[in-house]
Amino acid sequence: MSTPSNRTLNAVELQVNGVAYPVAIETSRNLSGVLRDEVGLTGTKEGCDDCECGACMVLLDGQPINSCSYLAVQAQGREITTIEGLADGDDLHPLQRNILAMGGVQCGFCTPGMLMSATALLERNPTPTEDEIKIGLSGNLCRCTGYAKILDSVAATAVEIS
Amino acid sequence: MAVTDMPEFIRADGPDKVTGTGRYTADMTLTGQLVAKFKYAEVTHAIITKLDVEAARAIPGVFAVLTAADVPDIRFTYGIADRTLFATDRVRFEGEIVAAVAAISDDVAQQALDAIVFEYDELPPIVDLEAAIADGAALVHPDVDSYVVTGDTPHSGNVATHSSIAMGNAEEAMSNAATVVTSRYVADASHATPIEPRAVVAQWEGERVTVYTSTQVPFDARNLVCEALELPANRVRIIAPHLGGGFGGKCGGHFEPHIAALARAAKRPVKLVFSRWEEFIAPDRRREGMIIDITTGVDADGKIVARTGNILLDNGAYLADSAFFPQAAAMHVAGPYVIPNVFIDSRLVYTNHQPSGSVRAPTAPQGCWAVESHTDEIAAAIGMDPLDFRRKNIVTTGSVGAVGQTYDEIGLDQCLELAAESAGWGNDLPDDEALGISVGWWPSFHSPAGAYAKMHGDGSIQVITGASECGTGSVMTLRMLAADELGVDQTDIELVYQDTGAAPAGPGSSGSMTLFNHGRAVERAARQIADQIKELAATELEANAADIVLADGKASVAGTPTVSVPIVELAGSSPDGEILGSATTEDIEWPEIKGSTCLGDQGFSSWMAPQFSCHVVRVKVDKDTGVSRVLEVHAAHDSGTIINPIAAHGQIEGGVTMGIGQALTEGTQYDDAGRQRNAGLLEYKLQTIADAPKITTQFVEIYTPNAGPRGAKGLAEAPNVATCGAVNNAISAAIGKRIYQLPMTAERVWAAMNDISLEEA
Ligand code: FES
Ligand code: FES
Repeated sequence: MSTPSNRTLNAVELQVNGVAYPVAIETSRNLSGVLRDEVGLTGTKEGCDDCECGACMVLLDGQPINSCSYLAVQAQGREITTIEGLADGDDLHPLQRNILAMGGVQCGFCTPGMLMSATALLERNPTPTEDEIKIGLSGNLCRCTGYAKILDSVAATAVEIS
Repeated sequence: MAVTDMPEFIRADGPDKVTGTGRYTADMTLTGQLVAKFKYAEVTHAIITKLDVEAARAIPGVFAVLTAADVPDIRFTYGIADRTLFATDRVRFEGEIVAAVAAISDDVAQQALDAIVFEYDELPPIVDLEAAIADGAALVHPDVDSYVVTGDTPHSGNVATHSSIAMGNAEEAMSNAATVVTSRYVADASHATPIEPRAVVAQWEGERVTVYTSTQVPFDARNLVCEALELPANRVRIIAPHLGGGFGGKCGGHFEPHIAALARAAKRPVKLVFSRWEEFIAPDRRREGMIIDITTGVDADGKIVARTGNILLDNGAYLADSAFFPQAAAMHVAGPYVIPNVFIDSRLVYTNHQPSGSVRAPTAPQGCWAVESHTDEIAAAIGMDPLDFRRKNIVTTGSVGAVGQTYDEIGLDQCLELAAESAGWGNDLPDDEALGISVGWWPSFHSPAGAYAKMHGDGSIQVITGASECGTGSVMTLRMLAADELGVDQTDIELVYQDTGAAPAGPGSSGSMTLFNHGRAVERAARQIADQIKELAATELEANAADIVLADGKASVAGTPTVSVPIVELAGSSPDGEILGSATTEDIEWPEIKGSTCLGDQGFSSWMAPQFSCHVVRVKVDKDTGVSRVLEVHAAHDSGTIINPIAAHGQIEGGVTMGIGQALTEGTQYDDAGRQRNAGLLEYKLQTIADAPKITTQFVEIYTPNAGPRGAKGLAEAPNVATCGAVNNAISAAIGKRIYQLPMTAERVWAAMNDISLEEA
């Protein structure tokens, strides 16, 4: 167990949403914690700490990962995209616009993770079937919506951008 | 303006939530903040023999360690004041807090917990409901008779409260019935499981404390801090940042007093963030386990003539907000049926489990599951179609229900027909599929609630409300009502909410009360502003105030729309420099009631603006494994007028999906000592998008006078009521055997199919 006096810190540079953030962190720190507490981007949520809920989903070189269960030091040299990096300036990403307009946001706690999974899905498969959307989002729990409007908004986005 | 003219809903908190800029409690960081952690009993029933925190206090970086010795010696909770902030002489469930620490880091806080000396003598756990109420049973609270009791809360021994319904002569009617059916149903406990684990941050400035917390009811949280720490209300301010779901689990106050006390002792801001394990084991808001015995007699025509019931509810160790549960459960076992002779006895039983408390429609999913499964058993016993049997027996407009209440215009019969038709009731299905039907009901609750409305000198408008937005969109809907009163666009109005320092008190986000109560207050506060604007416009336009119409941002003279003045310009002309409105909910008429609750009346003996629903589900059962899948849900709801359709549909879809989880997978498993065995999201399985069925929703919009704004009733709890019963009826229709335990896991379905008792297996 470490105490303030014997912590070993690593100087790491994290590339998040196109910006380089130098941070000093212990090897054991998970990426979600470092993004939230060191980088200051709290859009990435933590609903468990064990790959169970998907609230912490971010993209690592375009691939969705549960950042709660990923060591921050391993993300060095790779491009991290969080929910804060999804919009183009003031213009919402079509997924953000549609999930909001179609009622797929309630408490919003699952929303960042859900949107990151959906982004990765549409990147690799711009014309997903309903089943493919379900598989792509099956690692993201939502307690509020029953998923219907989330599903619809991802399907509508696929049609819109293809 | 008619309700149907409402503009499309724009979610005021939406941009915050889709861009990640919105702050939830765990996202807060205050300069110098410390990390809080709790030492839990982890043993379910024990006498404390030693609690020594000196070594923990001595660790560098530890700023505060608190136990019962460090806070006022106060027992609290409505009904029976059985609770203390920290364990005193004994512990009664695994999540009971023994001590709390505040330290400079997670690691140091953990070291402090590890350094606490906590020794105890274990007592046999009290976890069996029937054994707990047997003569001579050991007591969870040996001193219960010395606790302060409030309300109609008859208690004795391990029975925390007791309620009963008696109408007519059930015994005699039963003995004359043509057919009598008896069933026993057992429901496991389950959880609200919001995706946001709760968090609390407290900061003192002089004698005043501000607590940021993920509560659904900020005023209740404030009251708890005041009561437990002996503070006046004007020194405690509760602010709830964005709330990541609640489902009842975050009703009331929980850990706010602990964190406020830590912050005071540490002289630094203190932050608590729960792990998922803590979210499962520590809160006093779990959905209660139940044992439900029901007997029903029908006459030769298939009319119900009598019902008796005996209900035991697992309260767990402390009363939380559960004093009304026995009465609510009894209402559900009576059901939305016409039954002239009823006797139902319902008892809430102390055990060494986690305390039970409000979770979305408390007692209803389990009670409804039992009574609706039983209803299909009666229909089968007399060879009648389950839909026809319900047609014959449900309450309709003007009928007197099983609890003696006469109903105004209600739409249960329409719900029944719409859901059945939508599902294709009676159509042929593959061998491994079947439809199941269930009706459900739930009250709307009146509560005092206030609202302020303000038009600033520049014409911008603020609505300040004690309501809470836990995700449903109902607070967001409040500005639609205000905008309509004021003839402006909803986006012209900013909301201030979830702040006890700013708003008048109210029930927050609990009991589907936001629109129902806060909505009426907001309408009235906005109307006060509208009246003042009309006065100012009348002077300006040299007309009669009564002739002024507010629409499209303008005040104009009725019939002469060209004679008008922009509303924003009028605000500045007010002599006070701004225009204020302040209103509360007016008293509304309660429905006529012929009292049938004999004892333990906690205000549930008749239901104001009752909501009704019918769910028909299509289920597919894998006959080799017992795995059931819900393929379709056809829901029809009478929740009065629907003001915000997109949010209303969202509530039905979310509530139904929660219901499917409770039906199939969500059950708390305990070890012999009463500790949770599945306190994680891999072991306690929620529905995923891959499981989600197609949900078809229809609303029977019956304008309900003396209810919420514009004839609305409550809404968000009702969709969580009927699904479990419909799923059981579908599974039973598919496999030809009935399931008597909730959740209806693959294992239990498989065992029923193969006539195997799981206890023996
Ligand atoms: S927080 Fe990472 S999966 Fe739940
Ligand atoms: S919107 Fe609340 S968990 Fe998904």
